[in-house]
Amino acid sequence: MAGVKGPVPALQAALAAENAAIFGYGVAGAHLTGSSRAAAEQDWTEHNRARDTLAAMISARGATPAAAQAFYQLPLRVHNASSAARLAAYLEDGVTRAYLGLVAVGDQRLRRFGAMAMLAAAQRAASWRGSTQAFPGLSPPSTP
Amino acid sequence: MLAASAAALPLLLGAAGCRSSDAFTGPDPLAGPPPLGHDVLTLQAVIAAEENMIDLYRVAISGDPGNQRTARTLRSLLGQHEQHLAQLKARLIVPPGARGVRGDGQSPRAPGGSGGGRPPRASTVSISRLRAAERASAADLVRRLATVPPALAQLFASIAASDATHVTVLGG
Repeated sequence: MAGVKGPVPALQAALAAENAAIFGYGVAGAHLTGSSRAAAEQDWTEHNRARDTLAAMISARGATPAAAQAFYQLPLRVHNASSAARLAAYLEDGVTRAYLGLVAVGDQRLRRFGAMAMLAAAQRAASWRGSTQAFPGLSPPSTP
Repeated sequence: MLAASAAALPLLLGAAGCRSSDAFTGPDPLAGPPPLGHDVLTLQAVIAAEENMIDLYRVAISGDPGNQRTARTLRSLLGQHEQHLAQLKARLIVPPGARGVRGDGQSPRAPGGSGGGRPPRASTVSISRLRAAERASAADLVRRLATVPPALAQLFASIAASDATHVTVLGG
């Protein structure tokens, strides 16, 4: 929406990352079984919830939430559980980076919202990757 | 057009009944070193907390971490905290002679925190204590990021996210 200033661009960026994660988890989940599949389904649900929250926040500011794309170019071919986990970690890294933009806005409540979303995404990324990072969101993009 | 040398300026100001602090709105050069700003004080507190966290990990590693896998994990997390500390210190610029700084330019250790000003005894540092310290650190950083400039807020948020993942690794 033209003329909209403030946190809307950062909210839209976070929404775009959530939409990409929702799509990506749909692909990853198809190659997972057991507890991994259950974890992917739980994470997919979390991203759907976050998408709805962000869309409502954007609408409340008089803007139109950007629609999800019909298809996303994935960074790797997913053909087994290992590659599915790598994709999930990659998606969470993207979500973490996207919320970092929200942490820089002037609204203190939005900063906190963005930070808490970063914490959750970084935890999910670490869980899928099996290791932690010193600077989630600030680190160079992971190689899937 | 008024022509006056620099030496004549105080005389002109004096004749007009002005003190130097009346004539200029900037900081008074005669007022002594300025107090530290909020950002600097916040950064010093976060650095002190990070140093205490590193102390905890070092003591835990030098004590009995349990097994080799646990020791390896703790060393990895310690390394990330050392990276946090380096980044935080790189952001700290303290004006020379500023009030509220130790003689060596460093901040005092956080009182009552995980370290309390000196390294804790080895026997007191358990995995659960590390986990609690990580959880408290993440919460503290999120609380502080509301009142600092955007770039520092992003660093705090990233470190908080890292600390949160540490909680998970430590079994939280």
